[in-house]
Amino acid sequence: MLIELANPIVESPLTFPVLECIHILGFAFSIGTIAMVDFRLMDLWMTHQTPSQVARDVAPWTLFGLGVMLVSGPMLFASDPDMYYLNRSFQVKMVLLLLAIVFHYTIHRKAALSDAAGARAKLIASVSLALWVGVIAGGIFIAFV
Amino acid sequence: MSLLSFAQWIQSTDLFTAVRMSWYAYPVILTLHLCGIALLGGMVLMSDLRLLGMAMRERPVSDVIGQLRVPKRIFLTLAVLCGILLAGAKAEEYYYNPFFWTKMSILALIAIHALVFRGSVFKKAAEFDRMKKLPGRVRFAAASSLFLWGCMVCAGRAIGYYDVPIDKLHAFFLRHAWGMG
Repeated sequence: MLIELANPIVESPLTFPVLECIHILGFAFSIGTIAMVDFRLMDLWMTHQTPSQVARDVAPWTLFGLGVMLVSGPMLFASDPDMYYLNRSFQVKMVLLLLAIVFHYTIHRKAALSDAAGARAKLIASVSLALWVGVIAGGIFIAFV
Repeated sequence: MSLLSFAQWIQSTDLFTAVRMSWYAYPVILTLHLCGIALLGGMVLMSDLRLLGMAMRERPVSDVIGQLRVPKRIFLTLAVLCGILLAGAKAEEYYYNPFFWTKMSILALIAIHALVFRGSVFKKAAEFDRMKKLPGRVRFAAASSLFLWGCMVCAGRAIGYYDVPIDKLHAFFLRHAWGMG
């Protein structure tokens, strides 16, 4: 009986591509704004402001992007749960995503809000960037592994 | 030389053939392309929201625009270079892909947008520093920029959804029917 229930995500051929576009815009907003804080911690750009100022300025838009990403993502997953569940790249992506979000709201946030500087700040910013680049790579490779 | 024969020639060069033949080169470059878009996108978002008066309001307009100019150019360059590698590797397919041409048209519109508003908005950012509400043309420049970049992302994603009729592909025959290339 269950098998006869239609999956609303695959009902229309447009739903999946539209969700993907929303997903990309969501991660551009969140990862792009987090990267601005990373570059500030690295003393590269936005140096006229302190790290805590940059972090506070972008925080609402980071959260907005994350929200969009975390709503559209599970909907994309729901289109074909078995495939995603078994996809090695998807599994890696989920681990990296969890690490990236936890890292962002703990160590990264604390470093930015306390205006951390020097090697420690640069290391934290690099880890943050690496985790998010890993999340993007994990997403892309789902279709290639 | 027609555009089609140019596309066939460019994808047959060693560099683009290597990208097409390797299983990982394409997704790795695609990842870098999207990283460039995400990093550029975040900065475009923040500078346009500043012009709209929706973010970073305590920071002077010229300060936000000025500080983001260089990194925006760097990540645009990254996205464009990776884009050229991706498009060149499948140039013949993309020649037939309407979404590819849509994306290129939006890119042209973004270039025109930059030229149109360069003098009246971006170079005059310092004039807006003390204004509570920015002039209409400034807010229009910011809103249209966000709209164009959003369309760019959607058109880019749509490229992957168009299947070129296989009989059109010269490379397909080289690979499968004649066992070459």
